[in-house]
Amino acid sequence: MRHKGRGVACGWYGIARTAAMDRAAVWVELDDGGTVKVATGVTEIGEGVLTGLCQIAADAMGVHPHDIVLADNDTARVPEAAHAGATRMTYMIGNAVAIACREAFGKFRAAMGAYWEVAPESIHAAAGKVWVEGSASKRMSMEHAVHVLKKERGIVIVGSGLFTSAHTALDPETGAATPWQSYVFGAQIAEVEVDDDTGEVQVLGVWAAHDVGRVVNPQQVEGQIEGGVVMGVGHTLMEDYIQVDGKTTTPGFAKYILPTAVDIPQVTSVLITEPDPKTPLGVKGIGEPSITPTAAAIVNAIYDAVGVRMTRLPATPERVMAALREKRATPQPLRRAA
Amino acid sequence: MLTFDHYFMPRTLEAAFDALEQVPGARLVAGATDLLPWAREGRAGDVHLPAMVDVSRIPELCEISVSEQRMRLGAATPIAAYERDARLRRMAPVLGPCAAWFADDQIREQATIGGNIVNASPAGDSQPALLVLNARVHLARREGGQIQRRDMPLSDFIQGPGKTALHEREILTALEIDSIEGWGSAFEKVGHRRSLAISTVCMATAVKLDWARRNIESCRVAIGAVGPVPVRLGEIEAMLVGQAPSPRLVREAAQTAADQVRSRSRQDYRREVLVNFVERALVSALSRAGLEVSRLPKEMAHA
Amino acid sequence: MPDSLASASKVCAAPADGRHPTVEISATVNGRQVVRLVPNHYRLIDFVREELKLTGNKEGCGAGECGTCSMFLDGKLVKSCLTPVQKVDGGTVETVDDLDRDQGMTALQRAFHKCGASQCGYCIPGMVMAATSTLRRNPQAGSEEIKEGLGGNICRCTGYQKIIDAVELARDVMNGSLPESALEEDASESFIGARTRRLDAPAKVTGAIKYAADMWMPNMLHMQVLRSPHPHARIKRLDVSRAKALRGVEAVVTCDDVPGKDNYGVFIEDQPTLARGVVRYVGEAVAAVAAETVDIARAALNLIEVEYEPLPGLFDPEEAMKPQAIQLHEHAPGNICKHTKIRKGDFEAGLKEADVVVEETYQTAPIEHAYLEPEAGLAYVEPDGCVTVHSPSQNITHHRHMLAHILGRPINKVRMIMSTVGGGFGGKEDMIYQGILALAAIKSRRPVRYVFTREESFAASAKRHPFKIRYTMGLKRDGRIVATRMVMVSDGGAYAMSTPGVMNKSAILGPGPYAIPNVWVDAIGVYTNNTPSGAMRAFGAFQSEFSTEAHLDLCAQRLGMDPVALRMVNLMRDGATTHTRQKLDRVLAVDCLEAVLGSAGWDAGVPHRQAQGLPERQDLGRPGTRPTSIPGVAQERYVQHDQTH
Repeated sequence: MRHKGRGVACGWYGIARTAAMDRAAVWVELDDGGTVKVATGVTEIGEGVLTGLCQIAADAMGVHPHDIVLADNDTARVPEAAHAGATRMTYMIGNAVAIACREAFGKFRAAMGAYWEVAPESIHAAAGKVWVEGSASKRMSMEHAVHVLKKERGIVIVGSGLFTSAHTALDPETGAATPWQSYVFGAQIAEVEVDDDTGEVQVLGVWAAHDVGRVVNPQQVEGQIEGGVVMGVGHTLMEDYIQVDGKTTTPGFAKYILPTAVDIPQVTSVLITEPDPKTPLGVKGIGEPSITPTAAAIVNAIYDAVGVRMTRLPATPERVMAALREKRATPQPLRRAA
Repeated sequence: MLTFDHYFMPRTLEAAFDALEQVPGARLVAGATDLLPWAREGRAGDVHLPAMVDVSRIPELCEISVSEQRMRLGAATPIAAYERDARLRRMAPVLGPCAAWFADDQIREQATIGGNIVNASPAGDSQPALLVLNARVHLARREGGQIQRRDMPLSDFIQGPGKTALHEREILTALEIDSIEGWGSAFEKVGHRRSLAISTVCMATAVKLDWARRNIESCRVAIGAVGPVPVRLGEIEAMLVGQAPSPRLVREAAQTAADQVRSRSRQDYRREVLVNFVERALVSALSRAGLEVSRLPKEMAHA
Repeated sequence: MPDSLASASKVCAAPADGRHPTVEISATVNGRQVVRLVPNHYRLIDFVREELKLTGNKEGCGAGECGTCSMFLDGKLVKSCLTPVQKVDGGTVETVDDLDRDQGMTALQRAFHKCGASQCGYCIPGMVMAATSTLRRNPQAGSEEIKEGLGGNICRCTGYQKIIDAVELARDVMNGSLPESALEEDASESFIGARTRRLDAPAKVTGAIKYAADMWMPNMLHMQVLRSPHPHARIKRLDVSRAKALRGVEAVVTCDDVPGKDNYGVFIEDQPTLARGVVRYVGEAVAAVAAETVDIARAALNLIEVEYEPLPGLFDPEEAMKPQAIQLHEHAPGNICKHTKIRKGDFEAGLKEADVVVEETYQTAPIEHAYLEPEAGLAYVEPDGCVTVHSPSQNITHHRHMLAHILGRPINKVRMIMSTVGGGFGGKEDMIYQGILALAAIKSRRPVRYVFTREESFAASAKRHPFKIRYTMGLKRDGRIVATRMVMVSDGGAYAMSTPGVMNKSAILGPGPYAIPNVWVDAIGVYTNNTPSGAMRAFGAFQSEFSTEAHLDLCAQRLGMDPVALRMVNLMRDGATTHTRQKLDRVLAVDCLEAVLGSAGWDAGVPHRQAQGLPERQDLGRPGTRPTSIPGVAQERYVQHDQTH
């Protein structure tokens, strides 16, 4: 027989480097054709930061994301933005890109202001076009603007930016510290179906609400949540790297079991997008927060479904059946709700 | 890594025997889907063979022929045929669900039914389904220049984990199975996930109803992955034949399966799942044969 | 052409010189006739990647388990890592690299782009092929059949959802139920907040983007690494002379080749570049060979003589902490790598105030990152003497520091370039091979490439720390937590890697987003002779928060409370003080909980309420869930087709 159940779990996660100062630096150039070069330690590992940074830069520089050229991450060619991890990419590098672009754009406005003889604040740019507020004649393409500034004024627009997140080290005895400036809160609900003939648990649905700050690209945030949840499903139900006397008995994917497309829940992402007040862009992150509540939500759901608590991961079919067997063998007193 | 001195692809059985005789230690291969993963670190490690003799292009091993009661499948038939061949679907419906649980789309195109049998893995998914179909294996070897053929029941052919009755330089050429057209059948498997999974327990069953007498006319039950070899559960079959199907009958038959678990590990789990599977599969098979029988509630098993 | 009997020889061992027989293969690949001579042990994946340089197709595992090598052979979708090249002779091959020459991208590839189906991109070529095959077989395939069609392809990044969405979108565009314009980018006023299609997706869905294993340099050598078969042993003798003498071997490196300060690490510098006198885990690198071909390098490994003296091994962290346990590192008495403490308030006093005390032990397993791209890298020395390593490193800043330290060079004479990463999750953060590659490039004075097998990746790379957590929580009858104690012991494996950071994070976040006056946490990372534990997504917080959230439900049961109500009582609010005594401003914990309850349509009450004679919950099986998956969707369709025809 199959039994359904639901479980809930909350979570939280501090983002960027733990208990140590974190930093990211960026260089920007407004380039020929109204394109933009951005040089930073961009560390695209699949989460989508490459595109996200281009969106941020495009927004700040008045061009399109496809006009942005991001330099390769190379210690000899770009400033330090440090590592791809700790859910720090959008938060640290995104903010640094915004700061660098705002500086560059400020210079552009000043230069165009001088060129058009208007106040810099009246100059706007978007989607490859620049114009003066309220003027019909003072408008041109970004491509032309760059050309004009270079050719006629000898001006190349460059900018730089730095974003620092101030964290303090842990007190060795009490752990007292400000390990991060920003936290991402979350909560997930899992709905499972337990087959008491085999102990198999299928996760049919997961709802995930995370406090991600301002969202640069919602499709990418969903992608991280979906990926984190499914990785969580794997950890909770099937993944186990086993060693016997130091030698692994799970040397490859035949024995180390990962979820396939057939094993995944439907995932509903709920994005809480209140901007982070401490940073220029108001962004936070999601890569790791997305996986923290999943295991407990599933395990709590298993209890709801069949009344057994799985305290050891992974809750494989064998362990679930053993728990059910033990439960049947133990007299269960009826409990009344308070 | 698998390396070898020679790779032969004979187009006739004679040419295959020529290769086997000329290169001592030559290894027969069809799909290579078991051999290549086996020759890797953590399993057999680097393996060097004097020769590979790939029989997948020999026409005799690729043919499927059908008569009213029996079907003959060439050993190099891909597992995918269990799903895709309309004749097999009609006459051996238990093979379809077995194939659906077998690895994935890609491997089903490459793995062969003969290779899966000769590999004789205790976890082999197709064996229980084939046992239910009274499968016989056809073998050929060459002695004194003459091709000698023999055949035997699949249950005699598989002798232990990785062990078969295959003689040296003998080739499995075909599989012959019963038609169970009109019967109801079912296949059950559990692994650690729902695709590309190794079986912890698997089984197949087929039932034929006698509507006039309102009872089970024939019944076949076979189990796999719970012991060194797949087996037919003759005791259960005897319990069921001639009986009117009922929830209690199915429950009692299923409970006798517990004693059949002979695996070296996870015995408690396998015992419990096997009993549940036999019951569940019988109910499914009966349903497909046209008779709905419900399952007794779980708790009654321990009453 | 497969072998004829005329050439059959009597040799029965693998060629000791690494030179294998060759075979001539004639085939049509992506519409082009090719005739090539390749090593006879090649599989179709080697033929396509190494010989034809069609690197869109990947070898994620070499054992038919991951699907990244999927392509069409004679019209059938196969796993090319399981296909001996002899089967390709006379055949027709279709790979991802040229799926639609005329338009650049097929509708399916454009759909992948539109839906955000490509993240790291490594599984994507294989996925595109599997999806192409599924839709060719059934242009009307529903989502269950699509999932089954992709069931042999693993993705570690996306969770599959957007891949399935993409295949459904492509299906609808191709069968006319949606217009072509559905594949175009959504218009958007502002770029921030837009569903901008990923800029690297076109290169990923066509297989054009290059990962480290897809790169060649002129005059490049191939490296292979000899790894320890013992979990703990002294190296009594290491003789590489026979390997060096093998024709085609250009360099052999050992720990003696490290010019700078050996022993590196992000937190604790305890890791040698190559084993120095002792090996501490199965899979630890002992020596490396750079040779003209991978086959020669592998053959050379067999010629390296190592004499080991096995030592007692430690495989359990609690055993390793005992006084009589063998000391694995000089600097770590009791084999303690890191002990993080959180002490807030007075736990014992707080516990006395509790109405109910709940204790339980939780355990999590070591986890493999399982990125689809096995580790790889290319190293070379530039004309100006700068040593460059091009690899999928998650932290080139740290790696450059460590490399400069090992090589004894000024830091600006060491260069780390990050190649496109086929999945990281923290597993490419700890440095395990870049130093060896750099040494091989320096010694051989040629570019050197190294590609891990999947098994090598499993054995050598760091794992997620397993945790054993002894939980004690004291609560008041109204649900308020008055005291939490978590004593967490974790197997850190043979080297520190990220263990100190993981202990910190697991401790700081462990007790959860709750306002608790008395908190005691110990996070103890212990050295053992198991595979080192290192950085992995959520870095200790996955494990510790799992225990807290599971424990809260247990506590709710003991109190007879709704677990949501229990959480509401305790969740932090604006201005809360954390367990490390940081005062927070805005706290959105309750907002998230309320949002998820609303989104899921949660039916309030105690869990497993049917066992208490209460009415069953009413919120199951609604939108937001999928049906139970039962293999055989495609098969069912064939059967139904039979019945109606």
